[in-house]
Order: sequence, then C-alpha cells, then structure tokens
Amino acid sequence: MREVAVAGVGMHPWGKFPDKSVTQLSREAVEAALADAGVAWPEIQAVSAASSRFSGGKGWGLNGNDIVEEMGSTGVPVYNLSAGCAAGGNALNIGYTLVASGLYDKVLVVGAEKMPKGFIQTSGVEEETDLEYLRQLSVGMPGPAFWGMLCRRRMEEHGTTEKQLAQIAVKSHKISIHNENARFRKEFTLEDVLNSAMVSYPLRLFEICPVSDGAAAVVLCSADEAKKLTTKPVWVASSTVATSRHDDGIPKGLATITPPGGTHHSEASVAVKRAFEESGAGPADIDLVELQDNTVYYELAFPEEWGLCEAGEAESLVESGETMPTGRLPINPSGGFLSFGEATTAMGVFQVCELAWQLRGEASARQVPDAKVGLGQTLGLGGNGTAVMLKR
Amino acid sequence: MTTTNGVPVAEGLFTETADGPRLTGSRCATCGTPSFPKAAVCHSPGCTESKIEDAQFGPHGTLWSYSVQYYPPPPPAKYDEPYEPYALALIDMPEGLRVMARVSTDDPESVKVGVDVELVLEKLYTNPEGEEVITWKFREV
Ligand SMILES: [Zn+2]
Repeated sequence: MREVAVAGVGMHPWGKFPDKSVTQLSREAVEAALADAGVAWPEIQAVSAASSRFSGGKGWGLNGNDIVEEMGSTGVPVYNLSAGCAAGGNALNIGYTLVASGLYDKVLVVGAEKMPKGFIQTSGVEEETDLEYLRQLSVGMPGPAFWGMLCRRRMEEHGTTEKQLAQIAVKSHKISIHNENARFRKEFTLEDVLNSAMVSYPLRLFEICPVSDGAAAVVLCSADEAKKLTTKPVWVASSTVATSRHDDGIPKGLATITPPGGTHHSEASVAVKRAFEESGAGPADIDLVELQDNTVYYELAFPEEWGLCEAGEAESLVESGETMPTGRLPINPSGGFLSFGEATTAMGVFQVCELAWQLRGEASARQVPDAKVGLGQTLGLGGNGTAVMLKR
Repeated sequence: MTTTNGVPVAEGLFTETADGPRLTGSRCATCGTPSFPKAAVCHSPGCTESKIEDAQFGPHGTLWSYSVQYYPPPPPAKYDEPYEPYALALIDMPEGLRVMARVSTDDPESVKVGVDVELVLEKLYTNPEGEEVITWKFREV
C-alpha cells in the first residue's frame, strides 16, 4: 500500500439553506477543496461520495453522479457509498484505498446533505421484516431516547451528573464561536443548558445535535503528487471501516444477547483500535479527536471505550477543561456535531477537514497547540463504524 | 391491568399463555443463541450448525437502563392524543436476551435502574377503528 496525503479540504458552512440544492452545496465544498489542493477538476481520477437518503442522488443515493454532472462529466469512475451516518467515513475509506492501492493518484471524496426538519424517521422502509422499522413501530425509540438510555446507565455506573452532561455542551459552544463554518455560534452558560427542555431523559435540547444542511470535500493524492503540490503535507495515517459484532451489548433491532461479550459500540471501537494498529500510533499519541457527538454522552463514553482515558475518568477531564483545544485530550475542537448539527452523511468528511486544518495549524482561535496526530470517527445505522487518523 | 383484547402491533412477537404473557422468538439448538424476534437462521458467527427452534421468553427481567420520551416520536411510532411522555427501557432477561420495551407505569419519572420487572401485554395506542393496538411492556414487580 502507498502513502496517501490530504492534498486539500473544503467545506460549505453548516446551517439551513432552503434556496440551495444539495448539489450546489457540494459544488461549493468541492471547489474549495480543489482550490486548497491546487488541483483542477479534470485532474480528478475518481470520486468517492457518501450516499444521502434525504436529498439529491436521484432518489438512489447517486450523489456522486450529481456532483460529477455539476462539475463537468469527465467520465471518471464514481463510487456512491451508503452507511447511514457513517457514509462520509466510508467514502473517505474508499477514496483512501483507491489511492493507497496505486490505482489512482488524485481522488475526490465528498459528503453533503440537506436534512428534513425535526426528528428524523430512522428507517427508510415500512416493512415488518425491517427490524429498525419494527422497533419504532412497537416501542417508539427515537435516536435521543436511545442515547438517553445509554447515558442513564452511565449515570448509574459512574455517578455522572446532569451538571457534568451540561458542561460538555457548554464546552462545545465555547469553541463554536471560533468556527465560521459552525451553524450555532453562540456561547451558553451552564444554566442555559440545564434550563433547556428535557427531550429524552436525561438528555436536554442543548445536549443533543439537531439536523443541518452542509457539505465537505477532500482531495486525496499519492506521495509523489503531494510533493508537487505542497511542502507541508498532511498524511492519512490509517483509515478503517467496521461493523458491529454479534455479541455487542447494544441491540440493533429489538434485542441482543446478554451478557455482552465485547464492548458497546463495537463498530466504532473495532474501527478505532484497528486505526491505531495500522497507523503505528496508539492512544497516547493522539493530539485531538473529532468524534461523533450526536449527544454529549458520547464525549464521555467513546474516549474510554477506545483507551484514550481510564473508565470513569471522562467526567473529571471535562470538569477540569482537559477536553478543550488547549487541554490534555482535546475533543471536538471544531465545536462538534453539537455546534454544527448533523448533516448526516457529510460528517465523516467534515471531520477530515477539521483534522487537516488543525494539523496544518490553520484552526485560528480553536487551534490545538502543535497538533501532530488526529483521530476522526463515525457511527451509522445498521452497525456501521469508521475511523481515520491523520498525521503530519 | 394487563389486557389481551385488541390487535397486536405486529404479528408473531408475543403471545398469551396459560402461565401469562411471553415474547415469541427462537433459540438455536446447537449453540443456544436466543433471538427475538424469531430468526430464520442462527446469527452467532461461531455456530457450527444452525438449528432454529421456536422459543418463548419471559416473564422475568431486570431493568438495565431507561429513558423518558418527552416529545412525540416521529413515524412510524403512533400515540394517543394528547401526547403523554412514556418510559422505555432495555431489559435483561434470564434467557440471555437484552430486549427493548416500553415500561408500564403511570409515572415515567419513577422508573429505576436495576429493579425486577415482568412482562405485560398492554395498549400502545388506539387505532382509527377504535381498537386497542397491543405491544409488549415491562413493569416493576
Ligand atoms: Zn447457533
């Protein structure tokens, strides 16, 4: 396998853009990434795109084809990747593999989304053989209620308080004012968060991420091409994809087996641990993490499940400010999903943009000092997980 | 009050027996892996030969964790108007299953982690024909 560099990154700001199509959002992100790389569109040899269930793609998730038509049909191969909220991470992985294998030297990875309003219906089919549909039909368990259950269990095991949960939201929004691409750029006090409406106990409105529109793009290239384009390359140290294990303690349908044999969120933890192995860098080498914070709970659970801190230590790291960009374990220095909102399939690509800016030292007031190694991670419906590590 | 009048929310998920309500699923005779709902083949990756047999689960369990849903859930979930917050939970059953379920309670905020619970079949909502639509729930014993 060859070394793969991040030649350029680009983002359309996150928000609500009723007057723009998802393909227009994509084009702005792609143009920004191409300009950042110093690469012209006709030089792109393949496109790896996240498939959206909600917007564009001719209703078939053909979002990569839409983007190629928009940019100019050069006849490039297009890969449309579907993996729920992990699709951006999957697209990155395929783009990485296409360059690492030696097949192509310059590949575009893109993820974009325009989301419907409000709480989204998790299953796209209405068939009782679809366990996600059956779960919603017979129990009624929207995403926030699912996260709420996991969070309530953590409160039981580690004594996590509602105040500590709120502190994570305060942290994310403290950073958000320094990110011009974030949708919610406003500081909140602890009282603001604790006074926001209870959505799914113990999680409040300001502690879960809403849905947003947004787009992100990354140009990946071979080492030879990177040397021509820049004197300060950022490298993909590893990129992995995993699916959940049979003995995971979190049910994907109506039930799972117990006692669980592995961790919770095995799709994420397996992907992250393999990313450590394949990069040759371990948890101690990680300077920053962009993890999927659909809710504040994940900023507590994931670092422990991946060995970035001890079990039960995450709350004290939050309280002492160690998860801020200047702390010992910076988590989501972008402001995270909480500040951006989730443009579901774009998030895996969004994370790579932030990691690249951080490693180049271009993250302005949210900069993690001297960041050398960064980790990104997604988790998607169906038991999909991805991880990516960038280094400089 | 447990009721078995009305229509099930979906076919083949639960039944009323002489000993009370049970979830209906399956178990692999080779490796013992339980499944709810019933599986067509054994899903345990280490299983040497899938031998699926019908199985019933319940009525006992322990409440692993819960949440209270303060806002109406999106479709396909349905509810009676006016909307009332409900509790939902993951229940560890001695048959080796962790099952998702509604909690049967008049006070969702009184639910506790770790308590013993039992299976009941109760109304989820009333359909446009006026029939009670029944699902499985667990209530504290
Ligand atoms: Zn078996």
